[in-house]
Amino acid sequence: MTAEKKTRRWKDKWISIIFVAPTILLILFVSIVPMVIAFRTSLHDTNYGEILGFVGLKHYKQILLTGDGWNNIFNTILYAMGSLAVVIPLGVMAAVGLNNKLKCVTLLRTLIILPWVLSQTVVALLWKWLLNGNFGPVSYVWFALTGEKADFFNTAWIARITVILVNVWFTFPIVLILTLAALQSIPLDLFEAAKVDGASRRDLFWKITLPMIKPTILTAVVMQSMEYFSMVTLIFVMTAGGPFDATETISLRAFKEGFTYWHLGLGSAFSIVIFVMNILFSLIYVRILRNKED
Amino acid sequence: MKKGSEKEVTGKYANVPAYIGLILLACITLAPLLWALSTSLKIPSEVIQFPPTVIPSILDFSNYYKVLFASNFMTYFRNSIVVTGVSLLISTILSMHCAYAVARFDIPHKNALMFGILMTSMIPTVALLIPLYIMAVRLNLYNTRLWLILIYTGWRTPVLTWMMRGFFEQIPKELEEAAMIDGCSKVKAFYTVILPISQTALASSALLTAVYVWNDFLVSFTFVTDEKLKMLSVGLYSYVTQYGIQWGELMAAVCLSIIPIIILFVCLQKRFVAGMAAGAVKG
Repeated sequence: MTAEKKTRRWKDKWISIIFVAPTILLILFVSIVPMVIAFRTSLHDTNYGEILGFVGLKHYKQILLTGDGWNNIFNTILYAMGSLAVVIPLGVMAAVGLNNKLKCVTLLRTLIILPWVLSQTVVALLWKWLLNGNFGPVSYVWFALTGEKADFFNTAWIARITVILVNVWFTFPIVLILTLAALQSIPLDLFEAAKVDGASRRDLFWKITLPMIKPTILTAVVMQSMEYFSMVTLIFVMTAGGPFDATETISLRAFKEGFTYWHLGLGSAFSIVIFVMNILFSLIYVRILRNKED
Repeated sequence: MKKGSEKEVTGKYANVPAYIGLILLACITLAPLLWALSTSLKIPSEVIQFPPTVIPSILDFSNYYKVLFASNFMTYFRNSIVVTGVSLLISTILSMHCAYAVARFDIPHKNALMFGILMTSMIPTVALLIPLYIMAVRLNLYNTRLWLILIYTGWRTPVLTWMMRGFFEQIPKELEEAAMIDGCSKVKAFYTVILPISQTALASSALLTAVYVWNDFLVSFTFVTDEKLKMLSVGLYSYVTQYGIQWGELMAAVCLSIIPIIILFVCLQKRFVAGMAAGAVKG
């Protein structure tokens, strides 16, 4: 009996190793090892694909002690916070709307979350064309209203706002989906009980709905800010960082340093900076959650 | 009774703002796509007409003809299908085994292991591109589909493993125990009992992987320069640089490239949403 148990345990052990090992090895190979290489590269001089001498923190100093590095950091924070400031209320409002018993609610939901399945490349190209200064319909409307030709990608602040709004169009469905799932898990008796007590629709929203979906909103904020910190394609295809680097975020800079200018060392240093920003942000998030629980 | 019906009437009116808001929002999400469709069906002179026309005066399909038969579009399309299909298959198979082992076997430090896996999905993808480029060159895997598939598979497995572990843990243990009393081994029970009832969950997570790989730009842009190996999203970008932007053709290519995803999405919307919600709750 015990011998049989022993062989079974031994067998289980081997099976679990066979089941788990391929995944772990693959993750090590495409995520952990590269991260170590990135850190190492960020401390070295490079010439195209070649890694040269050790230079210590030179690249980090170049990022943190120059105007351009801070310009990138500023753009990243502006891009992430600007997008969040619109995406969260819009996503929550749309979800609350879709949570009503409406006719054609499935159709409306399908149409509204459609941008979510498009790629960043497609979204960037669609909007580049819509906002085209000479032939785009948005520019035409602008022209008809103001009598001036619009150029959405030539002035720093207008380009920044444009990029944020396109990102909002592209990403608010994620917040909507998350919020809708949370809304649907609120027990209906809560509302019934509050209605019996004479609560108005507005009371219901502020006193029941919002507190119940708060954790989801917080999750969405963290997920989305990390997403926005590391977004490259949308901005790369739409403005390539211009005009005059006004829309160049850290991730885009890391990508361009790497694969446009072939400065692999500096590019890696920028990558590490984004990684650290992500970690800091998620730590803040975990702390907020803990405080909530206490 | 009367009160009840009155309430219903005010209830109906109360929904009017919701309708207006939602319909407006649907118009905003749909307009860019319709504009692309309209542009793709115009003749070249009408594409660059100011003021622009909303509906093409002559329906012209030559943009589609050019994209499909006189450009590399079909090559890009095929590459996207192959890479997406293979990555989806491997990542699903790997992560379902890993998730099952974590959910049902005694693995030392399994929580630490799962936390570690979760942490890797926090690494920004752009940070991995430079080192993966260095590795690809050293390993002679630059410009190969294999490298793309390895990366996509490896990047998707953490999320998939988390989603599926959550799902397997919800399945009552009695199901396998019953099968094991009938003489099944634990492994056989996994393949014959657990997997068949998990198909829906597996499909939801596989769909998200398909969308991720199909839509990705950075990986295929960075690791493949050979025209014969390029994927769709990069192929679209090359319309921008090569021919000085032929908007009509570009929009035709855009429309063609999003058709598969939109069809999938419209048919399987529930699964998409379920997968997304599960991923976020666990992640």
